[in-house]
Amino acid sequence: MLEVADRPFASDTDHTETTAAPRAPRPSLNAVNNWVPHDIVMRDSWFPLAHDHAIGKKPVRRAVYSHPFYIWRENGKAVASEFHPQEIVTREKSPYTDAHGRYPVIEHYGLIWGWFGRPEAADPAHLPSLPFLPPNGGLPKHMTATIRFDCSAPISLENLIDLTHADFLHADVVGDEKSDSEDVEVFYDSETITMVRTLVNKSVAPIMKFFSGIRQPTQNVRQVIRIYLRSHCAIAYGRFSPGDDVPLFHPCTPESRDRTRMEMVMNTSNAGLMFRHVMPKAGYKVSRQDSSMTNPQSPRYMDIDPRKDLHSRFDQAGQRYRLLMMELAQRQAEGDFAYRDNVSADCSDIIGLRKELFRF
Amino acid sequence: MASPWWKVARSEEVTSAKPLAVDVGDQPVVLWRDAQGIARALEDRCPHRRAPLSRGCVRDNGWLQCGYHGWSYDGESGRLKEIPNMKDEQRFPPVYKAIAYAVAESGGFVSVNLDKASAPPAPVLDETFPLNGTAHVSLSQGEWVDTLFDDPGLVLDIRGVQFTPYLMSELREENGLLVMERFCQWGKLHLPSYATAEFPITLITRTRPDTGETQAVLRDDSFRTLLTAQIAPVAAARGVTQVRWRARLGEELKGRHALALRLKGSFAVRENVDAAALRVLIRSASHRAQQLREAILPATPVSSDPSVSPDSSVSAAA
Ligand code: FES
Ligand SMILES: [Fe+2]
Repeated sequence: MLEVADRPFASDTDHTETTAAPRAPRPSLNAVNNWVPHDIVMRDSWFPLAHDHAIGKKPVRRAVYSHPFYIWRENGKAVASEFHPQEIVTREKSPYTDAHGRYPVIEHYGLIWGWFGRPEAADPAHLPSLPFLPPNGGLPKHMTATIRFDCSAPISLENLIDLTHADFLHADVVGDEKSDSEDVEVFYDSETITMVRTLVNKSVAPIMKFFSGIRQPTQNVRQVIRIYLRSHCAIAYGRFSPGDDVPLFHPCTPESRDRTRMEMVMNTSNAGLMFRHVMPKAGYKVSRQDSSMTNPQSPRYMDIDPRKDLHSRFDQAGQRYRLLMMELAQRQAEGDFAYRDNVSADCSDIIGLRKELFRF
Repeated sequence: MASPWWKVARSEEVTSAKPLAVDVGDQPVVLWRDAQGIARALEDRCPHRRAPLSRGCVRDNGWLQCGYHGWSYDGESGRLKEIPNMKDEQRFPPVYKAIAYAVAESGGFVSVNLDKASAPPAPVLDETFPLNGTAHVSLSQGEWVDTLFDDPGLVLDIRGVQFTPYLMSELREENGLLVMERFCQWGKLHLPSYATAEFPITLITRTRPDTGETQAVLRDDSFRTLLTAQIAPVAAARGVTQVRWRARLGEELKGRHALALRLKGSFAVRENVDAAALRVLIRSASHRAQQLREAILPATPVSSDPSVSPDSSVSAAA
């Protein structure tokens, strides 16, 4: 039996308007059924652009919403510019960089983050909390990967927060979804959404049997998906008992509005040796399966479609994700780029991280 | 005006093993066979999250199951029948459905009508056309049909047959169809066609004004039918034309050229059109085609020629 709960994360996060000025009506839960994620452009946010080991003296090219980011190191320090150092500049500087065409950059959690938005608003306090990653990096390279999704970033994240597709699309990897009970809770504030799914006595996934050597027929599973709406970054954290603790950093950087780049980090330090090496690679297979659906989906969300998407109660998290994104996008359209909730506050408790396993 | 029936698949292509993605113009359509073996068609777009249903599978009970989250649809009504893990609550409001299209099958073709309310086409005579195939041509459907009228050799390949520019009978209306007859030669054995007094074979084409569906008959000078083909050019996505065809040989083939038609691959619709030749192809036979179509369409009902499905009220093809 599936139980679903959906509530604001903290009581002090009030979604009702307190300002006196009249505002456009907020998007309704009904409006999400014909949303147009293609039109959503989030500003004033850190986007993870590269693994720190990928950046050296030679500039590499990245993009956020098609804006060029050239990244390299000067005296060991990462810098990001909208112009290539060898470029003969013939175009106007964008409003997103300083007088020298440089974007704000920060190096944290083993990743290079670029700020997209008003440069003066860049603040490390807006960096998402990822408590399972060492703040100064240093995880072995085999725990990282770059994977691209052939769809828009919100479509990719909607895919992630919707776990019911796994039985069909990823059946060969995750196995069937038989369990004694299933419970889904959704928490949210203005900047994040977190879904916690608890399964009791779930049949063990084939990949777990093989790589983690689980002999029991069933295991208890706690899966968490937490999305930082603005930066399009997600945490996917699976706790399996018996079994492993596998937190995954799953960003969906919108390089263009129809293609997504994931600078993945999977901290498998606490998993068995085989699992540790193989699990990050399973991501390639799973991502191709996802793209087989999200790629044709993506253009079907580029224009407003009067036909509303249908949904079931299994889609609660996804529906909520759409609504939160629309609300944030609307606030930005009205010129309000302020963070109303703190994204850098330690989220260990929210995601139920076993902190003793992740001490840095 | 009723919308036309489009022959979007050969019967062999539609199975219960795997859904088939086709399109009518820019409208994607998924086809499959249900548990009774009846061909079904839905819009190739899951109403849940817009994934293509053709990437899903056909269930044992004949429902089409989306490959993304496993929602299952009934082919006849398009209605949602099941969401996985919903257990006993499998009752959904009537809006929970995919768009179902009308489907008809006869003569070895599966036809779709985007207007579900269309009257089914009358079945064609039960003849078997064992040879069959599908060609994708990067030419619009209208241009493809005009090319067939002006120089069939650019779009058809019949073993040993040279199509000449000389018509026995120019394009005209006959029983609601566009009909013409063209002289042909066997290979290059003869004098050039402009210096030839008698031609050994002719190609008769009868084309529906709305869909471009054509029956082509190759006949020799003793009035023996050498080959009959049903050709269905359907506008597909991005200006591509999907041409499905079925053919059979005549019972009495005389002479070595005619007998050579028995060899494999003696009839084909060309996948590639010689664009350099096409560009300079002079519009002759097709010149009046549009006028003829316009004259036929609102007025005359289409004949019950065995090659084409009669339909009392047909509209102009897009
Ligand atoms: S998109 Fe088809 S079942 Fe979800
Ligand atoms: Fe997935």
